[in-house]
Amino acid sequence: MAIGSLKTLFAGEKGPLFQLAFKTSLLTFLTLGIYRFWMKTRMRRYLWSAIVPGGAPLEYTGRGSEKLLGFLIAVVFLAFYIGVVNLILMFISFTVMNGSGGGYLLSFVGLIPVYFFARYRARRYILARTRWRGIRFGLEPGAWGYAWRAIVHLLISILSLGWLWPRMTFWLEKYRTDRTWYGDAKFTQGGKWTMLYGPFKHLIVPAYISIAIGVGLSVVSNPISLGMLLIVTIPWALVGFVHYRVQSFRILAENKSLAGLQFQPHPRSSRILGIYILGPILVSILAGLALGLLGGVFAVIANFPGMPGIDAQLLLQGGSIATWLVIGFGALTYFFIFILYGALYQTFVTLPLIGHYAETLSIMGAESLVQVTQRHRDDAKEAGGFAEALDVGAAI
Amino acid sequence: MIVVTPPDSTPSALYADYVDGETARVERVSLQLEVYSNSLILTRPEGGEIIWPLSDIREIPDQAASEMVVCTSINDPDARLLVSGWAVVAELRSRIRGFHQAGTQIGGQTIAKWALGAFASVAFIVFAMIPLLANQMARLLPPAGEVALGEATFEQIRVALGRTGMPAKTCNRGIGVAALNKMETALSQGLDLPYPVNLTVLDSPIVNAFALPGGQIVLFDGLLKAANSTDEVAAVLAHEIGHVAERDPTRMALRSAGSIGVLGLLFGDFAGGFVVLSLANTMIEANYSQSAETAADEFAHERLKAAGLRPDALADMFETMKKLGGDAKGIQAYFSSHPATDARINAAKAASAGMDANVTPILSRLEWRSLQMICK
Ligand SMILES: [Zn+2]
Repeated sequence: MAIGSLKTLFAGEKGPLFQLAFKTSLLTFLTLGIYRFWMKTRMRRYLWSAIVPGGAPLEYTGRGSEKLLGFLIAVVFLAFYIGVVNLILMFISFTVMNGSGGGYLLSFVGLIPVYFFARYRARRYILARTRWRGIRFGLEPGAWGYAWRAIVHLLISILSLGWLWPRMTFWLEKYRTDRTWYGDAKFTQGGKWTMLYGPFKHLIVPAYISIAIGVGLSVVSNPISLGMLLIVTIPWALVGFVHYRVQSFRILAENKSLAGLQFQPHPRSSRILGIYILGPILVSILAGLALGLLGGVFAVIANFPGMPGIDAQLLLQGGSIATWLVIGFGALTYFFIFILYGALYQTFVTLPLIGHYAETLSIMGAESLVQVTQRHRDDAKEAGGFAEALDVGAAI
Repeated sequence: MIVVTPPDSTPSALYADYVDGETARVERVSLQLEVYSNSLILTRPEGGEIIWPLSDIREIPDQAASEMVVCTSINDPDARLLVSGWAVVAELRSRIRGFHQAGTQIGGQTIAKWALGAFASVAFIVFAMIPLLANQMARLLPPAGEVALGEATFEQIRVALGRTGMPAKTCNRGIGVAALNKMETALSQGLDLPYPVNLTVLDSPIVNAFALPGGQIVLFDGLLKAANSTDEVAAVLAHEIGHVAERDPTRMALRSAGSIGVLGLLFGDFAGGFVVLSLANTMIEANYSQSAETAADEFAHERLKAAGLRPDALADMFETMKKLGGDAKGIQAYFSSHPATDARINAAKAASAGMDANVTPILSRLEWRSLQMICK
């Protein structure tokens, strides 16, 4: 290995992560959601520290109180937008189109600029609170510039019937990367948008074939075409989608540079796909086992002499204490499974995904790191609150 | 000066990685614990010492690597010391004093200020702006739009009331339907409604009835079974037609559509949120209904009189529901649009003052039986 080449270790472990996730979700439940800001902060702190490039772990320095404040700030503005704008859109849809479908579509479209804005702001906050070797990352302001560019790119992608999608992927990544800093060193996104067509063909080609077969099937039904669609082209397109996500990340990262540093990521689409497929299956089996166990207990309680049968409509009638006990136990079971599922998902999907990306990353040219000096602290006051409020803050 | 050398430690355990928080350079420093001054001495590779009193050292919490401890000094919060090796980590942990929280803690006052702002903003929108808008919109919405809104809402309610994933069944046994329509025609005669009243009976034991946007009125089988006479059902129906005439359901549907979005925003996507959400929304709806109920009652008194019936049939129905314990208790209250209060019973009795005790019911005995059997 060349001098100045840094390997990345992954120190995350399933047991401690599950414990942390379960404990903090439980606290979130008990505090009616208030603790979720601290939950997210602690989860990030753990996951960041698990990524160890060149022996020094990343550090997440965000605070729960900061996230709560950011959320409150966002609520002041978003409550108006969501409440009033949604209502007006619903009114328009029932006035003009006599159906709620149009209203939901309109309110979804109306949220797109806010979505991109929120994503950029969240990224800015996260980078401002990420350190490696004691040095802060940072992202320059520019959320509205990002939002309008993203919308123009999205329109171009749609108008080109998907063919210019890689162009959007590239230019949006370049916009973000070229505004990203590590200490006083600036990232640069090199390369061209056309370099993403390699992985993209496995998404666009099967997508087009699927559409063509689908159109054909709507004219004449044909079991062979249907089989082709279900067994070959749709799975191919789905695999292609994951492949594109993974490999476009790799290609873009390979073409980034930072003060003489180069990145060598080697994520494997097959591994990521495996995690996405097997992870949720495993999580569902484990959560299902827990549910089965609790269901057994529930059945014993419910069939106890003097207890009412489990009948949703009788329960709606309300009444006896026994009925309420049954309802209470049912509700607690629901929340328990909900929390368990979330914690298991973090353990068997989120953690392995981050782990794979981390372990397959090398950094070249590390000797130039000694010249990097600290940057000022970015207040990033609203702390990703818009993304938090809109729930677009991704899985972690 | 004493060098900490735990029995099983390797020589590398005496070293640690240090970053000063000013450059991205990692220095391999040697560690010495000086007992008499109670401090940790870091000797830099190019010479020079950094002295961290043990009382100043804090550990960074929630770290993944279990055999490593990351610490900082409260006097140099940007610097980090990364100590690896079980023995040294254990030794250090036993001597340092708790955890360090990087970044700045937001003051309680700032949070309180913004919490108040967020609360005021949400309260203003949910309790002032959305009701105002909903009232205006209910007036402006074309009848066809109201009917579509009602159909969308009805499907949601059917699913919510269904058993094991199947939407609740609607009942339409021939003679019963005819009887129901006869009753409705008698009550809405001469009324100028923007859309025809559309009656549905749902196969559910709940003792209740409600109106939806666009003239849709839903009676539960439970109500038909519980009623002691055809007049009691007629009274409930007249009350619900009152809601339709006032477009109350449209206002309520628009209002909850607006407030559900805002409350969802507040409580976020977590399990507890859903319950709080529905409870909060119920409160809003109940608060809203209260004022409209009296108007619908008065409307019902008039309609019953016009159909040659006594308004106190409504009082009888309330008494029947009270006896069944259906006085808007429990989860059922969510769907209940008419809490039976004594005030309302008295109002219905007062409206019947001076009327003949014997009136002719709208339905014959046979029609009444078939209406009660509409769901079998
Ligand atoms: Zn009512």
